[in-house]
Amino acid sequence: MLYNIANLIEQSAVLFPKKDAFKCLDDSISYQALNSKANKLSCCLLEQGLVRGDRVAIFMNRCLDTAVAVYGIVKSGGTFVAIDPFLPLERILIILNDCEIKHIITTPAQTRKIKLITQNAHFLKSVIGISENLDGKTISWDKVFSQTLDNYLPPKILEHDLASILYTSGSTGSPKGIMHSHHSLLSLAKLEADLHHSNDSDIIGNFAPLHFDQSLFGYLSGPLVGATTVIFPDAYVKLPASLSALVAKEKITIWFSVPLILIQVLLNGEIDNYDFSALRWVRFGGEVFPVKLLRQLMLKWPHAKFINSYGPSELARCTYYILEQPPETDDPIPLGTVWKNTEYKILDTSDQEVKNGQSGELVIRTATMMIGYWNRKELTEQSFFKIEVAPGYEHVYYKTGDLVYENDKKELMFLGRIDRQVKLRGYRIELDEIEAILLKNELITEAAVIVVKKDIEIRELEAVVCLADGAKMNADEIVDFCKLLLPSYMVPQTITIMHKFPRTGTGKVDRNKLIELIETQTL
Amino acid sequence: MNEKIITYIKDELSIESIDSIHIDEDLLGNGIVDSLGMIKLVVFLEKEFQVTISPEDMTVENFNSVRSISTYLSTPRT
Repeated sequence: MLYNIANLIEQSAVLFPKKDAFKCLDDSISYQALNSKANKLSCCLLEQGLVRGDRVAIFMNRCLDTAVAVYGIVKSGGTFVAIDPFLPLERILIILNDCEIKHIITTPAQTRKIKLITQNAHFLKSVIGISENLDGKTISWDKVFSQTLDNYLPPKILEHDLASILYTSGSTGSPKGIMHSHHSLLSLAKLEADLHHSNDSDIIGNFAPLHFDQSLFGYLSGPLVGATTVIFPDAYVKLPASLSALVAKEKITIWFSVPLILIQVLLNGEIDNYDFSALRWVRFGGEVFPVKLLRQLMLKWPHAKFINSYGPSELARCTYYILEQPPETDDPIPLGTVWKNTEYKILDTSDQEVKNGQSGELVIRTATMMIGYWNRKELTEQSFFKIEVAPGYEHVYYKTGDLVYENDKKELMFLGRIDRQVKLRGYRIELDEIEAILLKNELITEAAVIVVKKDIEIRELEAVVCLADGAKMNADEIVDFCKLLLPSYMVPQTITIMHKFPRTGTGKVDRNKLIELIETQTL
Repeated sequence: MNEKIITYIKDELSIESIDSIHIDEDLLGNGIVDSLGMIKLVVFLEKEFQVTISPEDMTVENFNSVRSISTYLSTPRT
């Protein structure tokens, strides 16, 4: 019986022992070997004093060991926290502190950064995955895998135990951790397998890093059906010509990524020179796919079915829209309809359901719902919409913050956000967080961050700031300051220094006016 | 050529300040250059060394390290 995500590889290790579970370039690992290595990592973590529920960080670039780390941690009863190795040190330390990480799992390629982290994070008890000895805390992979399992007692893991915390941009100036249980991640794995009718003959292309929840499709839903998941290394995702060659070579059958990677393959990936005939499904999500480019791509790959996939990380994914044919007009692609085990309402500003295709906020009730935000009880409560069915029994919906309406086919159509969250190149960004960070600098008295359209496909972050009286600071210095505290995708590309902000009648910063000034270059 | 490329990457592209970049260091996998940086790097190389880099040449083999970039740029193209 499957009730926690560790069961996924345990089942496939019995049904498909010799089959490749994961592949990354010339490295591969069978289900049997993955299960055995994950048991050894689990055993090692327990020996290090891990207590059920403890958070364990995964600090890795895209490589095969990420799979061992995920399954090793959950088998030990721990909670995996995937950290983007590209983050600045300050932000990494904030996350490690926030969820009280004691153990970190990494890989030799990250040694340089891990050294910096261990120098600043004295609360770490063990660093697993590098050979170099740092304060006697390190345990190499060789050591982990050479141990025997004679005294290994697998812990109890219930389906409502915490499986993962995923950090995302938070509007108050520090990242927030989204908690998912084994139940919600297992539900996600089942729903995605159902969506694609995937099976053990499928080869899944995994283009997302582990800290981006698109990767859960490859890491969890793949093992559920005994498919092979191919992990694309960072370099390949950045270089479309190499990406195309590798997708063709690996005969990927199911593709899931942000639109940007597909667009790069279409425009710069030598798409006509490679054989993509194995592709059954191409699923994209995370942001809007410009329809003109989507049509071009669908005409190149007429044998594949395309899916627009939508959902905030709080519930991973919830709607889908299947395109059997290239879109005939340039009208926006619908978000589609909710998948199984999921329902929704569209609410107006007084929390009443809208009528007759009017627009409102989308709220979702689903099996893949998060438990809440780690250590943020109030924020968690604010994000839920509850309907009391009977005293003591309520239906809990997640308020997505997305403005939608239903078209005449009852499909959901996306209009925008009700707050200041934006999606750029697939990254979810709270503009308020960037402003909060800018204001941490004593020389900056006011800050407004806006998204400026450079052309059809390129939108950039731009910050406009006011400096304190007599303060001397140039744009480069402000960018450097942001780089210390924010991930690179949240650092504004352009900084404009102003003496005074345009204001609305009520005295608020007039952001629309700012955008207009910048786009018409009259600033 | 190596020096010019290293200086540009260190000063303009690296995600955080680093002391040195080895010419064989993995630029893309180890988090020195991100995808936006990759585009900037190509623009810089084209301008600095008066070359045109076509999409089919933008491969892992040609761009993985400073050494592979300069080898690629020094190889006469047909």
